[in-house]
Amino acid sequence: MTAALELAALKKSFGKTEIIRGVGLSIGQGERHAIIGPNGAGKSTLFNLITGRFPQTEGTIRLHGQDLAGKAPFEINRMGLSRSFQITNIFPKMTVFENVRCSLLWSMGYRYNFWSMVGRSRALTEGADAILEQINLTARRDLPAGVLSYAEQRALEIGITIAGGADVIMLDEPTAGMSHSETDYIVDLIRTVTVGKTLVMVEHDMGVVFGLADQISVLVYGEIIATGTPEAVRANPRVQEAYLGTALEDH
Amino acid sequence: MDLILVNLIDGLVTGLLLFMLSAGLTLIFSMMGVLNFAHASFYMLGAYFAFQISLALGFWMGLLLAPLIVGVLGAGVERYGLRRVHQYGHVPELIFTFGLALLIEELVQFIWGKNQMPYAAPEILQFTAFSIAGNSIPAYKIFMIFISVAIFIGLLWVLTRTRVGMIIQAALTYPKTVEALGHNVPLIFMGVFGVGTALAGVAGVIAGPVLGTFPGMAFVLGSIVFVTIVIGGLGSLWGALVASLMIGWITTFSKAYNLRMEDLLTTLGFTKPEAIADSPWRDLWSITSPQIADILPYILMVLILIFRPYGLFGKRGV
Amino acid sequence: MSDQITTDPTKPAQRMRAGSMVLPLTPWLIAAVALLILPFIFTNNSAITIMNQMAITIIFALAYNMLLGQGGMLSFGHAVYAGVGGFACMHIINATDFFANLPLPLLPIFGGLFGMGLATIVGSFSTRKAGTVFAMISLGVGELIAACSVIIVAFFGGEEGISGDRTYGLPFFGVEFLQQIEVYYLIAAWLMISAVLMYLYSRTPMGRMANAVRDNPERAEFLGYSARWVRFYSFVASGFFAGIAGALFAINYEILTEENLNTTQSGIILLVTFLGGVGFFFGPIIGAIVFTLVQTVLSLQTELWAFYLGMIFVATVMFFPGGLAGLIMMHVPAWRLGKLGHLAWPYLKTLGGGLIGCLGAAALIEMIFHLRHASIGDHEMTLFWTTFDSHTVLPWIIAGAVTVIGFAICRATAPAMVEAWNEANAASKVTT
Repeated sequence: MTAALELAALKKSFGKTEIIRGVGLSIGQGERHAIIGPNGAGKSTLFNLITGRFPQTEGTIRLHGQDLAGKAPFEINRMGLSRSFQITNIFPKMTVFENVRCSLLWSMGYRYNFWSMVGRSRALTEGADAILEQINLTARRDLPAGVLSYAEQRALEIGITIAGGADVIMLDEPTAGMSHSETDYIVDLIRTVTVGKTLVMVEHDMGVVFGLADQISVLVYGEIIATGTPEAVRANPRVQEAYLGTALEDH
Repeated sequence: MDLILVNLIDGLVTGLLLFMLSAGLTLIFSMMGVLNFAHASFYMLGAYFAFQISLALGFWMGLLLAPLIVGVLGAGVERYGLRRVHQYGHVPELIFTFGLALLIEELVQFIWGKNQMPYAAPEILQFTAFSIAGNSIPAYKIFMIFISVAIFIGLLWVLTRTRVGMIIQAALTYPKTVEALGHNVPLIFMGVFGVGTALAGVAGVIAGPVLGTFPGMAFVLGSIVFVTIVIGGLGSLWGALVASLMIGWITTFSKAYNLRMEDLLTTLGFTKPEAIADSPWRDLWSITSPQIADILPYILMVLILIFRPYGLFGKRGV
Repeated sequence: MSDQITTDPTKPAQRMRAGSMVLPLTPWLIAAVALLILPFIFTNNSAITIMNQMAITIIFALAYNMLLGQGGMLSFGHAVYAGVGGFACMHIINATDFFANLPLPLLPIFGGLFGMGLATIVGSFSTRKAGTVFAMISLGVGELIAACSVIIVAFFGGEEGISGDRTYGLPFFGVEFLQQIEVYYLIAAWLMISAVLMYLYSRTPMGRMANAVRDNPERAEFLGYSARWVRFYSFVASGFFAGIAGALFAINYEILTEENLNTTQSGIILLVTFLGGVGFFFGPIIGAIVFTLVQTVLSLQTELWAFYLGMIFVATVMFFPGGLAGLIMMHVPAWRLGKLGHLAWPYLKTLGGGLIGCLGAAALIEMIFHLRHASIGDHEMTLFWTTFDSHTVLPWIIAGAVTVIGFAICRATAPAMVEAWNEANAASKVTT
């Protein structure tokens, strides 16, 4: 079985600075994989490389065995990879319902369709409502997304990300800037909505990482120094030394 | 050969004039992300103010005072207009400056009427500097070149050698950081806007006597200036310089040399149809280079955009 | 505003049945009936001329708003798509053999196709980016085509433009379109068709994604849509409807010149759309109606109408970026609460004062203009049905006093108006 996502000797430089210095990683189907690392390790850059936001300098990225080199974000998305953003990235002027419905359009085969009414499609409306139900925003359905509270917007972002039916879901710090209770809520939400899908996430909060992930990779200075189960990573002396030594004591 | 030299000088004058406008426009754009549609209107105001001042105090006081007034007006527009509209986003900003351009044109007509003003070069500069093969080069043109080059060098010096210039350059890229370092970024923005419009004002003062001081002067030059900075690459000062000179020379040369499309097509092996008057291609055959001189910049822009969408010196993603 | 909404957990989910929101019929029926009976109310020819112009402007403004309002693309050269559509139709009218077999009411389809064709060519490179870059390209291309009109004489007819006779077409159920009123119904029919089609377009997946790309192109790309192609399709669709407007212009005026292509024309349509309000579908309609009326009435009264219009435009951009439609929609909450009536009197006081002040200021402006630009020895001017000598002091004192008093009233009553406004919108706060 091919891996859902496979990175090989991936490198990225900005000018002379090499941010990603040869990352190799294989994430299997259905795996919940967290990428952790200290600030400035290149986690977000790695994310942006995978999703086609930046072109890589060297190396390959394969999604279900297909090379992603030179693909634009929308093409990658059509191949079954969807992502959320660290900074909330929704359509603030549209209603919550519209936000979700727009993210369903492509996967429901509407493509660049200009002859059918979105309002007439029962499948679209029900699909969007079902996702709203999943992310508990049914009560906010007809409000402009921009007026939601921060946690609600994060939930909506996750809703938009999963709506297209992609089987590889990438979440960039889904709990950044949240209180404890909000974090618990989002973690539960992520767990339920990504059942049966491949999950790749970057996260700072160790509680979240150890609660959600079944595989963890540690990225330090653009290189992966360890990959394994949470227990193995926790026990790895290099990780302890480089990163967890300080971070884990807090938890 | 001599004619080429004359045209080189003429094109240089046009190009440098364009550059004075496009430099300010580029500076404002790269700093605030706002393309000031009313930029050429400030150029027009410069000419009109200088004309009005020259009636009372003479040309030289006009050259000194008019750009100052224009700069203050520009700063006022930034402070009380643009800053307010900024919160709505870039498109309303553009629309605002567009409306401002309309308003200034109407205002100028309201105050000075629709006719051309009798604004002329000072008598002290009304002599022939030298002549090349019977073509006299007026001293005023040399004066224009001198002023533009002096301003360009001054601008370069301020931007690269002074503290203020450093802060401006930093604020171009990292406005938030510069603000956090305790510099008053809104004030810098206002200042840059004022200086940019004042530069346009200078251009107006010295171009008014040559190109004419009339309500349409902003419009005539305005769209060419935008084309210039698009060709040069939005936000690139060097691009603006190269594009300005390029456009200056291209238009001058195509006006000076009467190249005919007919000759070109015949050289390429096409034969002229017999009944040319009825042919749908008759306009193609009768095109001459002076006829299309004024639209060459637009054609150039379209070509550049197709083959190099970010302009000659533009950075990707601006 | 935002607080009262987010902290309202009691609000029930308003589930709409699929399909119920597609086309609220009532406004469309009212519009259709109004278009039918208007010529019976305003029967004289000049009124019909104005209504024709209005209808054409509405179509053009709606097409323009497909770009600006729905797609977030600011074009400074949209007149060329209407213009080229119009010019093409004029050539069809002049192609006697073909035109003799074509009923005139079908001509706008050709105009639309030509506008769309040009938009396809230009859009292929101009829609790569939105925002400033798009605006600049649209300006450059617009200028280029406008400048071509004096060079490519075979198509654009040079300085004098091209003209034709619409009545040579195949009679349409016996109608030859000799009369202005017949043309009116042709234009009105196309207005309804185009407006409905454009409204429906905004409800299709492409229309929705145009909004999404406008608000957040990056997010839209991660939903599987290429922002560039979404912009391209909006641009092409807008070009089609602009072409229809151009064709109707050709039918109505039977002449097209460089003026139909130039930047002034493009600027006017931007002004019309923005004044009306880009945020709502009906905004450009209001804008076109108001603009045509103001232009017709003001330009008869004063030479300075463009100056006033410029001021209104700049003030709109600065203070009411939602335009007239935005102003109207601002009052919907108060209307829902049944408190709109409470606003009437405060509005009358403040805005009435402001209006008096504006009229006074306008009088001052007119007098200054007269003083500066009237021919020497011409001291007499007529303003607000009063004839007086602009070189005496009294009119200046009166105009100045009216201005000061008007604005003073406006200022003095403004706090009360703000209070009334808060009061009228307050009910929703009580429930939180």
